Amino acid sequence: MMPNTTSTTPLIELRGVHRQFEVDGVVLPVLQDINLSVNPNEIICLVGESGCGKTTTGKIIAGLLGQSSGEVLVGGKPREQYTGPERSVLRRQLQIVHQDPFASLNPAHTIGDILSFPLKRHKLVKDRADLRRRIWELLTLVDLTPPGDIVNKYPHQLSGGQRQRVSIARALTVQPKLIVADEAVSMVDVSIRVSILKTLHRLKDELGLAIVFITHDLALAKYFAWEGRIGVMYLGRMVEIGPTPDMILNPQHPYTRALMAAVPEADPDITRRKKHIELRSDEIPRLSEIPHGCAFHPRCPQFLGGKCDVIVPPLLPVPGVTQTVACVNLTPATVGD
Amino acid sequence: MIGVSSVGLVIGLVCGGLALALGIYLKQLRPGITGFIVCTIAGFGCSIIGGLIALFVMAAVIISHAYVDRQDPFTSRAKLEEVDFSETTAQSTMRRLANFGNTVRVSWGALVRNKAGFIGFLGVTFFLAMSAFGPLFIEYEGSAQFSRRVDGARSLFQAPSAEFPLGLDWQGRSVLSHVVYGGRILIVTSIQAGLAATAVAVLFGSLAALMGGWVDGILSALANFILTIPQFPLLLVLASVIQFTDPIQMALLFGFLNWPTLMRAVRAQVLSLRERDYVEAAFALDLGLWHIISREVFPNMVSYIAVNLIFTVRTALYGLVALVVLGIVPLQEPDWGVMIFMGRSQGALFSQEAIWMMLGPILAIALFQLSLVLFSRSLEEVFNPRLRSGL
Repeated sequence: MMPNTTSTTPLIELRGVHRQFEVDGVVLPVLQDINLSVNPNEIICLVGESGCGKTTTGKIIAGLLGQSSGEVLVGGKPREQYTGPERSVLRRQLQIVHQDPFASLNPAHTIGDILSFPLKRHKLVKDRADLRRRIWELLTLVDLTPPGDIVNKYPHQLSGGQRQRVSIARALTVQPKLIVADEAVSMVDVSIRVSILKTLHRLKDELGLAIVFITHDLALAKYFAWEGRIGVMYLGRMVEIGPTPDMILNPQHPYTRALMAAVPEADPDITRRKKHIELRSDEIPRLSEIPHGCAFHPRCPQFLGGKCDVIVPPLLPVPGVTQTVACVNLTPATVGD
Repeated sequence: MIGVSSVGLVIGLVCGGLALALGIYLKQLRPGITGFIVCTIAGFGCSIIGGLIALFVMAAVIISHAYVDRQDPFTSRAKLEEVDFSETTAQSTMRRLANFGNTVRVSWGALVRNKAGFIGFLGVTFFLAMSAFGPLFIEYEGSAQFSRRVDGARSLFQAPSAEFPLGLDWQGRSVLSHVVYGGRILIVTSIQAGLAATAVAVLFGSLAALMGGWVDGILSALANFILTIPQFPLLLVLASVIQFTDPIQMALLFGFLNWPTLMRAVRAQVLSLRERDYVEAAFALDLGLWHIISREVFPNMVSYIAVNLIFTVRTALYGLVALVVLGIVPLQEPDWGVMIFMGRSQGALFSQEAIWMMLGPILAIALFQLSLVLFSRSLEEVFNPRLRSGL
């Protein structure tokens, strides 16, 4: 069922996960049939336009949201089966870094306090000297130096980039195995983005972290996850997932192709030469009225009547490439709905 | 609450002496003297603000002054190897006290910075001190003083003079003594009412927001139901049925009528705060529900609650005075409301010299209310870390 089988057990595995929200009596299927596994020390980028369910996926991975149906396996065991102290440890393994650096730190506490709460609560330090050593270590790890300047400050005294680093340090206090970075740099000044991404990359290498990087910016995904994978989501479904270089250079799904074609290049010549893909419609359907069959069919340039609007395409490997794609026109053996 | 004793003064002098000795020993004369004065006052006011608490706060402030030369290893910028973390229990107690004292000093700084707020604080302190300590210096005049009649005068009323700074009332009693004694029960009752209303509001509001479901439904419905009752007419009806002789009953009644507004606001605040990213992060870090309530949500609501406490106190004070002025509750002298009531019934509205009898309590009420409003501004700064640290 899962195409990318590796020798190691995945850290976390989503199997046929559905999630719906009910708003004023209308059921919104935000996620449908998501299959995704994250291996240790791996980078996965989830990209897609707003409302495609990438943040919901991230929160389900981080354990902040439950799934409506389907299974979430952590370390090969369904998450629900963890109880007591085991559950607490599991919780701590999966951390999240939020998008808004101004909302993710409590304005009432100093940075030192913010970092010491989890350390003290989970008895990760012995005494004050150890606490100080650990906090200094964490702040240095996220390139906030000298730490002595930072510990006594309140969040509002720091810049957006510094706060985002504090958020990362806070996530690292409990020694997680996976960090969900939910648009972690989208609200930070462009000039600081790259250095934060570099920090995250270094942390991945040094601490063996797996990172689920959620973004709407393909250029960022390409830069950040070149050695990892990119998953493209559309209206609550994964439409294509595969190793980053192949996703960028040889996208298969019509939606991914349209996205890649729309990425502006620094060189105007390349931009001009780029083939522009005309969509049949620019409008994203509402979540409450997801089209029948393939959700992308009203906009798809390769639309085949009687097929695309009937069959919900499963995510299947495409011959000749490394990606798995959900498109009836590309996958040879399509299963009927 | 009130009732200043000489015992308090002795306690204050002893503790203040210790502070002074400590100050001299540590060559920190200024904090030592400050400590002495403050301790004396704190001991003096033992029975009003709870002498032990006051003394504890003062001790912390003094220690924080004396502790400046010893750098807290935790915040020093030196390398870990260069910092000495070994400390005895006594040292760590001292450090904690000093930290607390620093917080008090920073809060004091925030209180002083806002000028209007500080004036309000002075006003509130003045009225509290007047009610608490005034009786030490001014004797209460309960019975009529016919001997003060000026020859040829038609009544005992008198305009302010050196001997009677606020004039005399219709029985020839000093208005000043009534102003000093008349606020005591009023202020205490309205503070009690404010505290009761705030406690209920915070408890119900947080419960409703955090538990949701039917708890939220019932509590919100109850709050809305009480809000729809027109308050003053209800008070009138209740007052005619029940004899309110005990101030505590009044406090509870006003508390009962005033919690819904704040409860709805607290509920909304908690609902908004619990969706914040940092609360979500605290869940992900598995910090526990108690930590989330007490350390993540509550500190961001304190200033709001404190300001609302002040406003509830104001509402209760007005309500209490109004009931008395209308003559609906039993009149018990001394009371600012009773003074206005008596002044009106004794024709103070139509007689020039009689006006002084009403002016005293009216000014007292108005100034106290104004001080409370101004003070609430400063409270905002004291409890808001963003404003407190002074950017």
